Amino acid sequence: MAIITLPYRYLERLTETDRQTIIDRVPMIGADIERIEEDHVDVEFFPDRPDLYSPEGVARAMRGFLGIEEGLPVYGVCPSGITFSVDPGLAGIRPHLASAVIRNVDLDEEAIGSLMALQEALHWAVGRGRGKVAIGVHNLDAVTPPFRYIASPRERSFVPLDFEREMTMEEILTDHPKGRDYARLVENFDKFPLIVDADDQVLSFPPIINGELTKVTTATKNILLDCTGTDKRAVMIATNIICTALAEAGATIESVTVEGEEVPTLAPAERVVAVAECASLLGLSLTADEMVRLLRRMRFGAEPDGDSRVRVLVPCYRSDILHDWDVFEDAAIAYGFENFDAALPATSTVAKEHPTTTIARAVRSVMVGQGYIEVMPFTLTNERVLYANMRREPAPETLHLLHPISEEQTVVRTDLLPLLMEMLLANKHRELPQRLFTVGDVVEDCATFQKVATVSIHPSADFSEAYAAADVLCRELTLPYTVVESADPAFLDGRRGDIVVDGRIVGVFGEIHPAVLRAFDLEHPVAALALDLRAVPGYPAPPGTP
Amino acid sequence: MELTLNEKRLLVVLEEAGSADVVVLAEKMDTRREAVVQYANLAGEKGLVDVEKHVSRRYIPTEEGRAYMGKGLPERQVLESFEGEIPMRDLQSHPLAKIAIGWMRKKGWIAIRDGIVQKTDTTAPGPDEAAFARLTESGAIAAGEGVSDLVKRGLAVEEERVTHTVSITPRGRELVAGGFDLREEVGTLTREQILSGEWKDLPLRRYDVTKLPRRTYPGKTHPYQRLLDEMRRILFDMGFEEMAGGIVQSSFWNFDALFQPQDHPAREMQDTFFLGERWPLPAGYERVRDMHEHGGETSSTGWGGTWSAAKAEQCVLRTHTTSLSIQHLAGHLKPPVKAFCIGRVYRREAIDPTHLAEFEQLEGIVMDEGVNFRHLLGFLKEFYGNMGFEKVRFRPGYFPYTEPSVEPEVYVDGLGWVELGGAGIFRQEVTAPFGIEHPVLAWGLGISRVAMLQLGLRDLRQLYKSDVEWVRETPTYSGRR
Repeated sequence: MAIITLPYRYLERLTETDRQTIIDRVPMIGADIERIEEDHVDVEFFPDRPDLYSPEGVARAMRGFLGIEEGLPVYGVCPSGITFSVDPGLAGIRPHLASAVIRNVDLDEEAIGSLMALQEALHWAVGRGRGKVAIGVHNLDAVTPPFRYIASPRERSFVPLDFEREMTMEEILTDHPKGRDYARLVENFDKFPLIVDADDQVLSFPPIINGELTKVTTATKNILLDCTGTDKRAVMIATNIICTALAEAGATIESVTVEGEEVPTLAPAERVVAVAECASLLGLSLTADEMVRLLRRMRFGAEPDGDSRVRVLVPCYRSDILHDWDVFEDAAIAYGFENFDAALPATSTVAKEHPTTTIARAVRSVMVGQGYIEVMPFTLTNERVLYANMRREPAPETLHLLHPISEEQTVVRTDLLPLLMEMLLANKHRELPQRLFTVGDVVEDCATFQKVATVSIHPSADFSEAYAAADVLCRELTLPYTVVESADPAFLDGRRGDIVVDGRIVGVFGEIHPAVLRAFDLEHPVAALALDLRAVPGYPAPPGTP
Repeated sequence: MELTLNEKRLLVVLEEAGSADVVVLAEKMDTRREAVVQYANLAGEKGLVDVEKHVSRRYIPTEEGRAYMGKGLPERQVLESFEGEIPMRDLQSHPLAKIAIGWMRKKGWIAIRDGIVQKTDTTAPGPDEAAFARLTESGAIAAGEGVSDLVKRGLAVEEERVTHTVSITPRGRELVAGGFDLREEVGTLTREQILSGEWKDLPLRRYDVTKLPRRTYPGKTHPYQRLLDEMRRILFDMGFEEMAGGIVQSSFWNFDALFQPQDHPAREMQDTFFLGERWPLPAGYERVRDMHEHGGETSSTGWGGTWSAAKAEQCVLRTHTTSLSIQHLAGHLKPPVKAFCIGRVYRREAIDPTHLAEFEQLEGIVMDEGVNFRHLLGFLKEFYGNMGFEKVRFRPGYFPYTEPSVEPEVYVDGLGWVELGGAGIFRQEVTAPFGIEHPVLAWGLGISRVAMLQLGLRDLRQLYKSDVEWVRETPTYSGRR
C-alpha cells in the first residue's frame, strides 16, 4: 500500500487551508490516516489513485473537494525542441519511452525526498515493481541532447548512481544493490536498455539504475524525465503524474519529441456521460447542472451537454477513469458519502439455505446430541499428518500448493480424521474423555465436497463406541448402510468397519491403530468415525468445481 | 436437627454404654472403625457426643529384630559360643562375629590381647537386653529403659496408635430419649416406591445444596460456528439465498471475471496460492477477454494490452468468495437475486496471531432492477445493525471490481470506529460479459475480524486450533440477538 508523507506547512501552503481541515476531510475523498505526527501526517491512498501520491497531488484534489479551486487544472506545455530516439532493437525488451523537460525546479532536501517518494510509489502502483514502468529523473544541464534510448551490449560500462567507479551493466546486476533487486527484469535479454546523450554519455540503465553523471541535487534547476516500460498507457500516466505534480509546485513543463511524437501533452481526455445513468446508479435525483458542480469539485472539467448529458474532461493524471461509472463514483464522493440517505429496496425475496448447509446442520445436531464438541481445523495441512501418521498411502487426488509458505501447510486436506487426531494432541493436557467432531470441506483433485469425522479419546474408548456413534449418525441422516470389515490401516485389524452405501465405501469407523496413536503422541485408545457426506440423500450434485 | 441414619444409630448404641472405644462401637454397629469416627465427628459437631482422641506409641521389632527373637542379641549369642578365651581368628568365623565383636568390646564384655579374645567378668545383661526379652515375649513393648537403644540399632521401630473414645453428652441423651426413626434413608426412588405410594412414608435423603455438583460438559457446536450461524440467520431474515462452491477456482473466475488485471499484484505467487492444475475456460470467455483488452461494448477503455487465456486457466485456492458470486449471477440472470456465501478463503500469508493463510469470508450480493448506491448503504446498515453494530458510517473505498466502492466502519465501544469489510456496486466490466443487466450490490467482510471483536480473541489461530477447554467454557448463549 502507498503511504504518503504530507508535511503540514508545505501542504497548507499548496492547499491554502489549515492542517486540521485537511486531516478531517481527506478520508472522505478515499484515504486512511495512518499516523498524525507533529510536523506531518502519513496517509494511505488507494492503488487506483497514484495521482494522490504526492503533497502536490493531494493539495490539488483537496482544493477542489473543499471548494477552494474547482474544475480542470490546466497545464501549459511548450516544446523543448529536444528529441529522443528509440532503438527498434528494444521491441522485445522494453519498447516504450516517454520523456519531458521540467524547468525552473526549486529543490531543497525535502522536495528531493518527496520527489523520490513519489517515484517509488509510482514504481509500485503503476510500474508493478518497475517491470511495467520505471522512472528516471536527471539533471538536464549535465548532458547534451538529443538523447537516444538504445538496446546496448551487456558489457557497456558507466558509473552508476552512488558509486565512484565504472561498472559494466552485467556487474551492476550482481554487485549494485539496485542491480540485485531488479536483475530479474532484464537478465534474460541479450541486450540491455540504456539511455545516452549526444556525446554517448550514459544517463540511465532502465529499469535498474541511473548514472552518477545526472544525479539530481539541490543545485539542479532543470530536469529531464524518462519513463520507460512495457505498457505505453502506464508509461504515459507515470509521466503525466510526475509532470503535473512538479507543475503544481511551480515548475514549467516542456515536451520532448519521442520518435516524432510530442510528449507529454498533459491534455485531458473527453467523455460524455448520461445524467440519468449517474442518478440511477447513485439513487439521487440530479440535474446536469448539479452533476457538473459535483464533478468540478473533483477537478474534472465539466459542462452540460443539453439537459441529459454532461461533457467531462478527465485530467491527464487520472488513470483510474476507465468507465463512466468511475466518473459517477467521483460525483458520489463530491456529494459526500455521509449525505446519502440509506434505504432498503422494496422487492421481496425468500431466503433459502444451501442443501450442504442443511446436511451439515443435521450432522452438528446429531453429534452434539451424542455429547461431541465441535472443532474447526484448518483446511491446509501436510502429507505427514494426512497420510504418514495415519499409516495411509498418499491419495493421488491430493492438491499440492505450488508455493507453500511453511512445511506445516503444503496440501489441501482430503480427509478430516487426521486433523482431529492432531487436535487431540493439542489438547493432550485437557480432561478426558474428549469427544470431538468436525464437519467441513475437503478437496479431491479440484472438487470440493463435505465430510464429517469424529473422535473419542478416553481409557475405555473402543470399537463398540465407534460403531454405536456411526450407527446413530447414519440412521439420523437416513443413510441406508451396511458394514463390512475394513482394511483401513489407520484402524486396528478386527476392530474396524467400512460404511457401505449402494455398494460404495462412504465411511469408516473403529479403533485407531496404536501406531497411529503413537504417531500423534496420544496415550489412550481412540474410537473414530469418518463419513463422506455425498452419500447422504439430497446432497447436491455436482459438487463444486472450478 | 438433621441427623444421618448413622449418627442416630451411634447415639442409640451410646445411650446404653455411655462411653465406648471406637473398636467396640464398630463391632456393635457392624461397620468399620473409620466410619464410626466419621459418624462420631459429625455428631460431635452438633454437641451430641464428645470424641476423645488418644495417641499411644509402642515399639515393634524390625525384620532384623525378629531374626534375633528367642536367640538373644548377636553379642550375647557370640559371647555364649565360647568359654573363657578364644583366638580372634576362630571367633571371626562365627556368622554374627561382624556385628557382635564391636558390641562386646563396647559393652566391656571382652578384652583382646595378642589375637586372643578373653571374657571379662562384667557380662551381665543390660537394659537393652531386658527390653529385647520383653519384646520377644509380647511382640510389642511400650517405651521404657533400653527401648531407645533397640530403635537406634534398627531392631525396633516406633508405631503410633490412635484410639478414640466416644461418650454421649446430656444433649445427646435428651435427643435419643425423644425417639428416632431408624429406617434406612432412601436415595433414588424406585419404580415400585413411586407406583405404590410408599414414597410418602419413606425417609428421603436430603441433599446439601451448598455442595457443587460434579462438573460435566455438554456436547456443543464451536463458538465460531455459532457466530457464523448467527450471521447466516441474519441474512436469511433479510431474504437472502445461500450459495456454496469450490475452494479451488480457476484464475478466470477468481480474477479475470472480476476484471482484475492480469498483472495485478494479487495475482502474483507472493499473495495467492497457485496450484499446478488448470481448468478450461467457460464458453463465452472471449467477452471477458475483450473487456480486459478494450472494454468490450461498454464505455470502458479496458486495461489495454493482451489478455492471456493460459493465465486465466491456472487454478488457485479462492482468494475471495466473490468468485462464487459472479458464477451465481452468471447462472441467475433474472432479477431479483439476493444471495450470500460464508466460506473459507485463502491468502498466502505467514501465520501469526492476526494473520492466517485461510479464514472465513462472508459475502452478499443483490441484483435487481433499479437498485442503487443508497440501497447498498441500506443493506450494510441493516446487516451490521443486526450484528449488533448500531453505529455505521461510510467512507470511499477501492476494490478492483466495484465502482463506486465503500469502506464501512462500525463503532465499537473501547475501540472507536473500526473498518469492517468492503462493499460496492459491481463494475459494468464485471457484469456486462455475462449479460447481467441490472446493478449488482455487493459487500463482503472477513469474519475473523468480527470473531475477534465478539469472542474477545487475541489470537485468531485459537479459532482453528481449538483448546477444548475454551470450547467447553464458552457459553452457548452469547447474549447477542
